[in-house]
Amino acid sequence: MDSKNALLQVKDLRTYFHTEDGIVKAVDGVTFDVYSGETLGIVGESGCGKSVTSLSVMRLLDEKGEIAGGKIIFEGRDVMAIPESQMMKIRGNDMAMIFQEPMTALNPVFTVGFQIMEAILLHQDVNKEQARTMAIDMLRKVGIPEPEKRVDEYPHELSGGMRQRAMIAMALSCNPKLLFADEPTTALDVTIQAQILELMKSLQEQYGMALVMITHDLGVIAEMAQRVVVMYAGKVVEYAEVLTLFKKPRHPYTWGLMNAIPKLDEDKEVLYNIPGVVPDPLDFPDGCRFNTRCPLATDKCRKEEPPLVEVEENHTSACWYVDKLVEMIKVSRAGEGA
Amino acid sequence: MPLILIGVTLIIFSMIWALGPDRLLASYIKSPEALKTPDAAERLIKKYGLDEPMPVQYLKWLGNILQGDFGYSMVGKKGVLPAMLERFPYTLELTIYAIIPVILVAIWLGVVSAVHQNKFIDQFIRVFALVGWSLPDFVFGLLLLLVFYSLLGWFPPGMVNTQFDLIMRSAEWNKITSMPTIDALLNGRFDIFVDALRHLILPVMTLAYLWWAYLLRITRSSMLEVLRKDYIRTARAKGVPENIVIQKHAKKNAMIPVLTVAGGSVIGLLGGTVFVETIFSRVGMGRFLADAATLLDYWSIIGGALFFSFIMIVGNLVVDVSYALVDPRIRLE
Repeated sequence: MDSKNALLQVKDLRTYFHTEDGIVKAVDGVTFDVYSGETLGIVGESGCGKSVTSLSVMRLLDEKGEIAGGKIIFEGRDVMAIPESQMMKIRGNDMAMIFQEPMTALNPVFTVGFQIMEAILLHQDVNKEQARTMAIDMLRKVGIPEPEKRVDEYPHELSGGMRQRAMIAMALSCNPKLLFADEPTTALDVTIQAQILELMKSLQEQYGMALVMITHDLGVIAEMAQRVVVMYAGKVVEYAEVLTLFKKPRHPYTWGLMNAIPKLDEDKEVLYNIPGVVPDPLDFPDGCRFNTRCPLATDKCRKEEPPLVEVEENHTSACWYVDKLVEMIKVSRAGEGA
Repeated sequence: MPLILIGVTLIIFSMIWALGPDRLLASYIKSPEALKTPDAAERLIKKYGLDEPMPVQYLKWLGNILQGDFGYSMVGKKGVLPAMLERFPYTLELTIYAIIPVILVAIWLGVVSAVHQNKFIDQFIRVFALVGWSLPDFVFGLLLLLVFYSLLGWFPPGMVNTQFDLIMRSAEWNKITSMPTIDALLNGRFDIFVDALRHLILPVMTLAYLWWAYLLRITRSSMLEVLRKDYIRTARAKGVPENIVIQKHAKKNAMIPVLTVAGGSVIGLLGGTVFVETIFSRVGMGRFLADAATLLDYWSIIGGALFFSFIMIVGNLVVDVSYALVDPRIRLE
């Protein structure tokens, strides 16, 4: 795909947080494109910088955070150069966001209707009555029963799933071109998760917006995304189309993540996990940041950082030993088959 | 609430009762003449029913209270209730003026402080709050007197200048609210209004400082907590301008804990009038109580205790109701 047509281009984004203990490089060179109407998945463990990436694009970092480098281009405009007064008009209107915790992401002292209407009134030239009708319509669209009644209820009167639906209604109320969904289903029951994902899919088709699905759950990725960015410790380690990624993972971290999903047809006593923990963001290891946990790591990995290179068309990976990994996967899959 | 009132009267009465018949008798006797005969004391104890069982005495006393008979005040040289009603407007005035800085200014500055956390303006405000919170209020009051009265002579103690005092005691003066500043305006005497204000500044500052500092600190920390909440990020992500995020989305949530303290502060301010009115030689309920305590004027003390308890109960009720106004999770069914 030609990145010139991209709705959003993120190029070598670096977001650093200045804390008392030092500089945290939460996002350290992340590149990806998002096209209209598609779903891009960003996957990775907690603390790998997925959320910070989306907050950077929306320029919602707190005062300790700073975009230290890179470029963010949205509809051909350099986001970092847009003055705050105009950025406010873009937020909620052209770019919207859904958060992980529907329990805490809605303001407890305002009604659901007010919170949706506020977004509509800020960005659209309508009066209060019209905004209210639009809010009710939106609530109906996201599958909230009795929207005329719910519109005047407070968040605590709704269940977790309903709140997330209300959040989605709020985010979509101004028909954004780009929607960031930051772990939108993580805090919900499994059955509700499926409903919400289904809802987001159908709304995306209806509105034709681009969706950036941020999650740690490969199941969600498989369900929703067309293309996937795998992040580890603030860096992109692999990027591929979704089917390719699942069939042919080309980074040991991706492979590890996939192995960590239990399979029903396997009779295993112990679930696989990637050994070790995510490195301290204040003190990332030299070389490849995954070297502390990688089964293939060598001295080279500990010294030199592997670049993100194309392993095949539209598939990139940042690993020195893609060949070894391919070999390992072959052996492992052969073992499974036997 | 009626239950609390009964509880309060019971506790207060048991304090009276614990004094014993002899001491209570003393408060009924106006001259030594009454005790001339040897059995006079016992006769009088019988007469006033001071040896009756506690429940009987309690009900009698409660009956009197309900009829507005709080006993005789030695300090006021009249009934306790009229003596208190005469003084209360002065205390009310002092408290009302103190509430303005305590509630309005403290919340305003608390929010400013939180929004500019760790910046110069925040540090500046916090120094004042810390001093107010740590400095004993009577020390602060005396310091103010030393600087602004003794050294500079700007703000004298008392209520109003002597000449104005005479006008206010004269027949032409319309006593409408009995609060000097308001009556001065209603009587069209701007000069008296200004003078009364001049006399109010130091006591109001002394009274307000501690609670101002406390409320400011509570507002600041509550605001800091709220500003980190997810829904604030949600509001920003919607494109809500930052000042609305702060003044509307954050402040309304941050006010929930502040309300409790604000309600408590009004009660605390009333309590603070006891020493403030004494230090600044003002007339009022606080001074009345302080004088009553030095004179062992039991009925005045009891009356004052009842009066303050009543205000406290009403104050708490107001706080509870206003909770429901701010926080929809607490709705009165």
